[in-house]
Amino acid sequence: MSFLQRRRGLLPYLLLAPGLAWLLLFFLVPLYYMARQSLEEGTIFTGFEFAWNFQSYTDAIANYDEQILRSFLYGGMATLIAFAIGFPLAYAIAFRGGRWKNALLLLVIVPFFVTYLIRTLSWQTILEDNGWVVNALQFVGILADDGRLLATTAAVVAGITYNFLPFMILPVYASLERIDGRMLEAGYDLYGTRRAVFTRVTLPLAAPGVVAGSLLTFIPAVGDFINAELLGTPRQTMIGNVIQSRYLELTDYPTAAALSFILMALVLVVVLIWARIVGTESLMGVEAR
Amino acid sequence: MEAASARALVAPVRHRRLLGAGRWLLDQVLNLYAALALLYLLLPIGIIVLFSFNDPVGRFNFTWQGFTLDNWKEPFGVPGLEEALVNSMEIAALSTVIATALGTMMALALVRYPFRARAATNFFIFLPLATPEVVLGAALLSLFIAVSYSTGFTTILIAHVMFNISFVVVTVRSRLIGFDRSLEEAAQDLGANGFQTFIRVTLPLIAPGVLAAALLAFALSVDDFVITNFNAGSTVTFPLFVWGAARVAIPPQIYIIATMIFFVTLVMMLLTVVQQRRAARMSAVRPEPV
Amino acid sequence: MSKSSDWDIERALDAMQASGLSRRTLLKRTGAGALSLGLVGFLAACGDDDGGGTSEAQVIPKAEISETLTFANWPLYIDIDEETNQRPTLQKFQREYGTRVKYVEEINDNVEFFGKVRQQYEQGNSGGRDLHVVTDWLAARMDRLGYVQRFDKEEMPNAVRNIEDAVASPDFDPEREISMPWQSGQVLLIYRSDRTGGELTSINDLFDPKFKGRVTMLTEMRDTVGSVLLGEGIDPEDATKDQALAAIEKVEKASRDGQIRRFTGNEYTRDIARGDSVAILGWSGDAVQLIADNENIAYSQPEEGFMIFTDSMQIPVGAPNAFTAQKMIDFVYQPEIQAAITEYVNYVPPVKGAREILQDRSPEVAENELIFPDLAQAHNFKTFSEDEEAEIEAAFQRAIGA
Repeated sequence: MSFLQRRRGLLPYLLLAPGLAWLLLFFLVPLYYMARQSLEEGTIFTGFEFAWNFQSYTDAIANYDEQILRSFLYGGMATLIAFAIGFPLAYAIAFRGGRWKNALLLLVIVPFFVTYLIRTLSWQTILEDNGWVVNALQFVGILADDGRLLATTAAVVAGITYNFLPFMILPVYASLERIDGRMLEAGYDLYGTRRAVFTRVTLPLAAPGVVAGSLLTFIPAVGDFINAELLGTPRQTMIGNVIQSRYLELTDYPTAAALSFILMALVLVVVLIWARIVGTESLMGVEAR
Repeated sequence: MEAASARALVAPVRHRRLLGAGRWLLDQVLNLYAALALLYLLLPIGIIVLFSFNDPVGRFNFTWQGFTLDNWKEPFGVPGLEEALVNSMEIAALSTVIATALGTMMALALVRYPFRARAATNFFIFLPLATPEVVLGAALLSLFIAVSYSTGFTTILIAHVMFNISFVVVTVRSRLIGFDRSLEEAAQDLGANGFQTFIRVTLPLIAPGVLAAALLAFALSVDDFVITNFNAGSTVTFPLFVWGAARVAIPPQIYIIATMIFFVTLVMMLLTVVQQRRAARMSAVRPEPV
Repeated sequence: MSKSSDWDIERALDAMQASGLSRRTLLKRTGAGALSLGLVGFLAACGDDDGGGTSEAQVIPKAEISETLTFANWPLYIDIDEETNQRPTLQKFQREYGTRVKYVEEINDNVEFFGKVRQQYEQGNSGGRDLHVVTDWLAARMDRLGYVQRFDKEEMPNAVRNIEDAVASPDFDPEREISMPWQSGQVLLIYRSDRTGGELTSINDLFDPKFKGRVTMLTEMRDTVGSVLLGEGIDPEDATKDQALAAIEKVEKASRDGQIRRFTGNEYTRDIARGDSVAILGWSGDAVQLIADNENIAYSQPEEGFMIFTDSMQIPVGAPNAFTAQKMIDFVYQPEIQAAITEYVNYVPPVKGAREILQDRSPEVAENELIFPDLAQAHNFKTFSEDEEAEIEAAFQRAIGA
């Protein structure tokens, strides 16, 4: 098309325009409105008024510091455990999988096409106080006789880990799989021991995947509330629970909006720190080729 | 110097022989660990499939009571389930088409055309992925409240397209990065103009990536609960239905639907794997170009 | 004692309450007047119709019977034929009026439902709903905010005639113009007799350390706090705000100490069926069903007294088929129809004559004290002023970890 050929420079902007417009309208603009809401004051009975009310932020932090800290703690733990479970699994599939690589990967992914809620509900059944898991653990002695798994921090963290595990496994697998076998051979020639090869060749090459995986796990984990709701007690309440209830049940919009921004800001801080440590290129997924 | 290097050569060899048994053990441990991890992943699915056969006494379906095939005869027996599923499917289909189209265009622009503010755009597209779903859902609700727009089917659709765009862009982009432009150049040498090249060469070649992105978007849309919950009004989608039903008694039908989704997806992906294998085999057979 | 004397006692209690509160009510109304001025101003700014008190709500005009009706309700709150998965009452309504009823079980919790529909109702949009069923305190709030329409009682002869005296005249809607009871229920102790080692009789059994981590309470503030107040020997109908707050503090402490496992809506049925909880606060309709399904589950009306609640039907503003909705309300006030509903949902019917019909058909239902309770021990929760209510609700939400 000669029109486009003549105006080559316009093409990228034309391609970007619709998608960008959608994101601007339905991502950025809502954030503006939420910011506005967080500075309002009032209740649904008295009406909301924009009043530069920064108090909702300070109140929110004061009232919900426990939940905020807890969310980051749970998110961090879930990410670490996901790494501990996911990395060896990804490694095994990438290097030991052979012909079965794709099939195994399939087994990893497919459970996550079952609705999130139903998966979590079935954990409720598995971990119930009189179920075989708890009975087995009590028998072996790990759990006290009147101990339980459900309605504990362990259950909530386990649930979060489970639900975001493939977000860790897939990126790690992707970078492990890309490792050229010849690099490993060279590593053996250079360093000799398997451990050295692992730490000096495999791990660094897998780093981008690990970085992506940990972010993709940590970010949603921090904002999750379903696991806390279904598997926990009020003592496991996370910031997501509070935001959800403030918005949808108590219609306390200013507090909820303030909390949302606080959460987002804190997550961004963590992401930026992490990016600093590992380099922004691997963050964006743009290959430095 | 020579003695040292000789020692350096001998030591690792001896080291390796001693560790031979240890290595075998390590291998087995790794395999066992991986097997356990897989089991852990699949355990809840097993429970779900199992409970779809549960024969609940009375109204509450929480403990295993007995095996029955009756539930499978009436997968939509629970009132409201069918409508919720239909809603979910409709929204997923529509939002997938829109998001894939928009996202693919953006990915093309980002990878192929250097322009100013590319890095900033990249970051902007990344932002929704970095935002917790609670915040995304709540922010959209703020917008709809502020402009007094009633939440319902349309708002759910808007929300789903919004978060799917970023996923599509990321997926298609990673596919485009390794793309070999020489094929396009060849087509243009043969006389095709830009548009024809795009339709006949580029699109078919990036199709797998686009398809993968579309599948991902579809799955994310069907499964979305948090953002939908904020913006659904009185429309019920399948996850919302499950949430409501879970409060009272989880009818076996829900497990049945979940099992069906699981198996359908499993089959679809098996087919893709088989198809990939076949394609690989065929390209192996085809003679190498000179 | 015959049933009529029970109702008489209740009526007497109501009358006593009404006169005792008159001064307080006056003050409340004045305060509400000032509030509603501001409210009207706000609503006017939003371009909505005026709403503020019962007198302001629009009376439903006469119209034709519509072809469809949308009815939003709680789950398991209407009779279902388990063979066909149809709802007989709705089918009968269709046969009589030709209207197809769309029944949506979207209400799981009052606060949650309110948060969900508030925005729409605010704009005069019912979201397609012609009827919703909410607990009395929320019905009062809906009316205060102008979210519901006024009935034309001439179109509801059955309702006028057959409504039980006990629920005919609550303080927030003395003429039953904006709400009509659907069912009532009791808040009871439900427990696993195989694990408690005996019968539980007192609300304070829930605080027994023996059951630590195996107790659940309700997210409905009035049900939980009212019960705890009764356990303290305080009548929830006369409680002061400070007493309520103290009760909430007790609950919060128990939760923090791990005594209370969690706070639930209907999902307590899951925990106790599985044995994850052992002693809980629950609702009478569920109790009937749980006991029928599981011989290890038992209930008890606490010796200190129990809370009752009434869920009422209302017609939201902007309902597309408001006139037909009135017919639905009237329809279920026929004793025959009500008997069928009660037989299935096992809650307390608000319709005179239902019990007599059940006496012949299902005597075990007619004799069941959960369905036809002795109201001498029943208590309501006081209607606090809006500010106090907000404060108590906020404290409770914090206590239950929201």
